[in-house]
Amino acid sequence: MNLSSEMAYKSADEMMFGTAKKPVKTKRGIAFGGGHVVPEVVPHPRPGSEKTMKTLLREYERANGDALERCVIVGHPQLMIENEHIFQMTHNPKWGGEIAAQTARQMDDYLKKYGLKAAYRATPADLRKPDMVNMRDSDYTREVLETFEECAKYADVVSIESMGGKEVFDHAIIRNDIAGLLFGQAVLGGRDMEWMWTQIVAIAKKHNCIPGGDTNCSEANTAMFMAGGYLSKDVPHTLAALSRAICASRTLVAYECGATGPTKDCAYEDPIIKSIAGVPISCEGKTSACAHADLCGNVIAAVTDVWSNEAVEYHDMFGGTTTAVFAEILGYDVAAMNASIDLGYQKEFQACLVNSDRYRGPHGFMLSPDNAWQIGKAMVDNNASLYSRAKAAAMKCGELMLGDPLLKLTAYEKEMLQGYMKDMQALPDKEADFIDMSLKKYSKVKGFVPAAYGL
Amino acid sequence: MKYLADYANILTRYDLNIEVARQAARKVAKDELLQKVADAVVKGEEEEAAKLTKDVLQKKSPMEVINEGLIPGMNEVSRLWDEGVYFLPQVILASDAMNAGIALCEEKMGKSMDKKGKVVTHTAEGDIHDIGQVIVNALLNANGFDVINLGADVPVDKVVEACRTHNPVMVTGTALMTTTMTAFPKIAAQLKRLGLAIPFVCGGGAVSEEYVTSFELGVWGKEANQAPGMAEDALSGDNWQAMRGKWNG
Repeated sequence: MNLSSEMAYKSADEMMFGTAKKPVKTKRGIAFGGGHVVPEVVPHPRPGSEKTMKTLLREYERANGDALERCVIVGHPQLMIENEHIFQMTHNPKWGGEIAAQTARQMDDYLKKYGLKAAYRATPADLRKPDMVNMRDSDYTREVLETFEECAKYADVVSIESMGGKEVFDHAIIRNDIAGLLFGQAVLGGRDMEWMWTQIVAIAKKHNCIPGGDTNCSEANTAMFMAGGYLSKDVPHTLAALSRAICASRTLVAYECGATGPTKDCAYEDPIIKSIAGVPISCEGKTSACAHADLCGNVIAAVTDVWSNEAVEYHDMFGGTTTAVFAEILGYDVAAMNASIDLGYQKEFQACLVNSDRYRGPHGFMLSPDNAWQIGKAMVDNNASLYSRAKAAAMKCGELMLGDPLLKLTAYEKEMLQGYMKDMQALPDKEADFIDMSLKKYSKVKGFVPAAYGL
Repeated sequence: MKYLADYANILTRYDLNIEVARQAARKVAKDELLQKVADAVVKGEEEEAAKLTKDVLQKKSPMEVINEGLIPGMNEVSRLWDEGVYFLPQVILASDAMNAGIALCEEKMGKSMDKKGKVVTHTAEGDIHDIGQVIVNALLNANGFDVINLGADVPVDKVVEACRTHNPVMVTGTALMTTTMTAFPKIAAQLKRLGLAIPFVCGGGAVSEEYVTSFELGVWGKEANQAPGMAEDALSGDNWQAMRGKWNG
């Protein structure tokens, strides 16, 4: 696998929502990154529906069907539906496959009957918890790969939220340990992704399915959620932002292995990924408030090609079921973005999105297109290894945060950030040296097995 | 791109307004050497805490080091955390430092120190999102409880068996997914059938108060940092109804 050495975009100014350097087309005629933004709704089944395949099929038939129907009712021209697998759908690969097949039939019906262009993304659950199973050789590993086989037969796009390095990350994030984040997220996570994504891409190609992408949900999103809003005292926001920059090194591996996008929606690192890989990205922000709070509700849409809601549990609301309501909301958001494109006002619209959150917190700041591009550039300029580009991304992110007087930091956040920068400066330059150091330092982390990462 | 110079009409940074002033840790030990041990805990310096504990054990008994150095240091950390001065990582690092010192004291005593009481913790079957449980474990441990950590993706029967074997003052369950939290009422029902009316604190991700309070024994845990306070209540004899009345609703 060659690590990326060039930027897809010459500058951040070139990056715009709705358009990617490498658009991707689906069998029902959607072009992700082909000029307009596409909404993506993510239904989640109600507790109890997971009891049998029959009850779960019925749950998804209704949840996915309601979203499709609402698009027709309010006139949204396109929709992607993602089903993030619950445990049972991947633990029983046939279940995931049956649900994909059922949804594909629903989408074919809506295309035939109304002309609605829809796409289905299947996201098998990564059941491999590193401290519980061997990442490369366990029943759960085989189930995950088998589920990809089952789903790729019917889905337009397959994706995953892979778990590599989670054992070291969990140890490090609650100990203010930036070296542990670099090791867990970039060195271990990147290696696991290369192993996993080589296989996922092969499976997808075999079934004429699009290999979408990966997200660092289990690590960088954990850091972001723990950092929380303005009242949380769990993790400094500056550390969460560095974790986000670091994770771009491992998330990029999917595209270096042949994934094409649309990327996975909860990868907040995707603006950085787009700047390097040029693939269409899927993002979530204000419309994911149904699942979690973030501090970048608008800015994260600035360069997106697909607009998602993370996940919403299926139940009734005044305005209909949640999946219908969120398909409607996402579709209207996207309609405004697409109208701005067709009017030639997209630059102005993008400026509104960016300015609304740029200084809300470190995450919104580092994911503003100009900063995301600079972090991407630091990565390709330091592409000797997964580690070197992750460290370069984090150092650049830190420099940007410390260098902009409009980004206000609490005294604590600033002091912590200066400490992380100092810690990173003291780390080895070469990945081999860093790995030697880390294998000793993290040898006692519960369940950490270097061989599971080829180390 | 045009950027605003003033964001006052766009957003309010409440975190800047409410930042708690930094404050130095208090002196918590009468003895100078034990104060150094406590300081190492307060600063979260694991190696230093171990080194100082080793030194002090030449002159003091293990129980003196624990009760007059290590635990007072951790109590000071809890105070700084409660007052919003410390963040979670500082508490975890302090806990690591305290544990390093306690391990040396226990080695010298030739036995484990007495803990306040047992708490069984687990993450639901089919759910591998256990960082919430990891934090609960660390905070309970830091507060002197004996944590029986069953880990993640734990079958219902295994949780029930652990409760039968250990007879804890409290059991906790963590779940991120609504489709895995359905294991909780099954556990509660089995505990009840066995006559083990142990307060069962459930929390995490999408686990709601409405759901947890829909079954007997269930007490909803909103945040991981509530765990030590809840365990103290259970230890003092509060039953699940009393705990639910205090922490929920």
